Amino acid sequence: MNERVDADAMAGRSSGKRSPPRILRRRYLLPFALALPIVLYEGLLIVYPIVQGIYGSFTRIELASSAATTWVGWDNYERMFSDPAFWKVIRVTLLFTALVIVVALTVGLLTALLFNRPFRFRPIARGMLMMPWAIPEVPVVMIFIWILSPQFGVVNILARMLPGVTQNPQWLQVPELAMGWMVIISSWKAFPFYSLVILAALQAIPQELYEAARVDGASRLQLFRHVTFPGISSTLELLVVLAAIFSFKQFTIIFLMTGGGPSGTTETIVIRIFNTAFRFYDYSYATALGVAGFVVSLAVALVFILMQVRRTQESA
Amino acid sequence: MAAQVAESRTATSRFHVGRLINGALLYVTVAVVSLIIVFPVYWMMISTFQPSKYILHFPPPLLPQELYFDQFAELFSEHPIARWLRNSFLIAVMTMLLCMALSVLGAFALSNLRWPGRNLFGLFLLVTQMLPEVLILIPLYILYRRLNMLNSIPSLALIDAAFILPICIWILKGVFDNVPPEVLDASVVDGCTELGALWRIVLPLSAPGLAAVAVVAFFFAWNEYLYAGIMLSSGDFMPASVGLSTLKAIAQTPVEQYMAAGLVFSVLPVVFYLAMQRYIVSGLTAGAVKG
Repeated sequence: MNERVDADAMAGRSSGKRSPPRILRRRYLLPFALALPIVLYEGLLIVYPIVQGIYGSFTRIELASSAATTWVGWDNYERMFSDPAFWKVIRVTLLFTALVIVVALTVGLLTALLFNRPFRFRPIARGMLMMPWAIPEVPVVMIFIWILSPQFGVVNILARMLPGVTQNPQWLQVPELAMGWMVIISSWKAFPFYSLVILAALQAIPQELYEAARVDGASRLQLFRHVTFPGISSTLELLVVLAAIFSFKQFTIIFLMTGGGPSGTTETIVIRIFNTAFRFYDYSYATALGVAGFVVSLAVALVFILMQVRRTQESA
Repeated sequence: MAAQVAESRTATSRFHVGRLINGALLYVTVAVVSLIIVFPVYWMMISTFQPSKYILHFPPPLLPQELYFDQFAELFSEHPIARWLRNSFLIAVMTMLLCMALSVLGAFALSNLRWPGRNLFGLFLLVTQMLPEVLILIPLYILYRRLNMLNSIPSLALIDAAFILPICIWILKGVFDNVPPEVLDASVVDGCTELGALWRIVLPLSAPGLAAVAVVAFFFAWNEYLYAGIMLSSGDFMPASVGLSTLKAIAQTPVEQYMAAGLVFSVLPVVFYLAMQRYIVSGLTAGAVKG
């Protein structure tokens, strides 16, 4: 007979049918031993650099010369808050993030509602729906650079159909058009994920609710308002926060297509941080910008976590 | 009586016509929406598989005029794309192995064991997954420079693994949650240690989840652009994501080669992502949604 079982029995922890399994009840060091390497690993490569970055934002870093880093206090932050270019970056970031949330989630919701209805070839259609999400960002950029080519780009066929357009537009040189395309491309890449998540939520709505509502004579619009929407509203809330996080992080598409241009009109904060550090070699100021970005993303992440906690409490 | 029957008949036929129109409308909508969504992908294929004399013409033909297959051989002979792909493969394999080893431990602690720090550990993983990568780039770059770890494939794999590990743990946690606690209980009663139970019971029951983690980690590193571009600035170590971004369409690289390069790079991630989408969704939403 196993000693552990005897010990349990002696302590009066007899296993009733509903009591949690024995493996879950004992206290031991094993979980800490399992989690420790991960915490150390993430600590070294994620947390330590963040702490370093916060420290670095109060110093002047000279990488090229061997001059020592000097403490400059709040200088970088004073410069940041008094820099009109910084506030422009914030405006661009907010505009881009808000537009991608709206466009990607709207398209995601509409496609989910459409693909939730039964029709033949639905698995094939769904596979096609997921394509943009599965293609890596660099090839996505290549495709759209080619589609938007002012000389031969296929999108010009559509543009030429508009009244008054006689020349192929310089798609990425005009501020409004460049921002519009960054939003469209980022949303095209992101919406299948949202669509898939909403589809899962739609399929979790019990069919009986629809039948009952139909028996009561509900119209289609009423079905959506009183059955479908309440069924997916908490998922949609969660997705707004996730979409905010994902679009705030968007780097590769903007960086490779416009680099933040024309004249900074698509320069979001992540692009600005990169340009400040690796084009202007101003590492200290870039770390200060990084801390600003960190504060924002931490705030959004906290919202997500609070929503998660609320969800688990509701389901418990 | 007769009138009633007739009325109900027209009602049924109207119902049928309505359903038919509805059905046709549904198919048309689905077709149009799908076309818009996949058009960019279609355009990549079209531009790859026909000679550029057709495509370098405005307006370009919307249907392929002639098929052409030499672009792949030309691409591989004119650009070091084989070396780029090899580098990507090495980075991806190292990231994958590291993530698989660590995520099994983390997911077991998060899913199958109850301990005081469990929720905090889960939150810690959640937050690290949500921070923009570029925020950590500068301090990590300075650290790597000081430690002489720039231009090294294993050093980059270490970073890639750190970014994707939290998502891998959340994916595996969702899979491990499905192992019935009674089974684990029984194995401990039979004298198995906890790690023995993980090895003999949890892992064999979680093969698809392990495959999902392998796919997610592998292709995160395969697709990653930002860190690869900064940490591997030397041409010898350049992975495909960075290499492809240096190609310039028309001016330097013929369009069919340019698009063929994008196609070659995308085939594997598309196949594997589509196969594993369910798991990836649950990992990215930290288990909030099971796709």
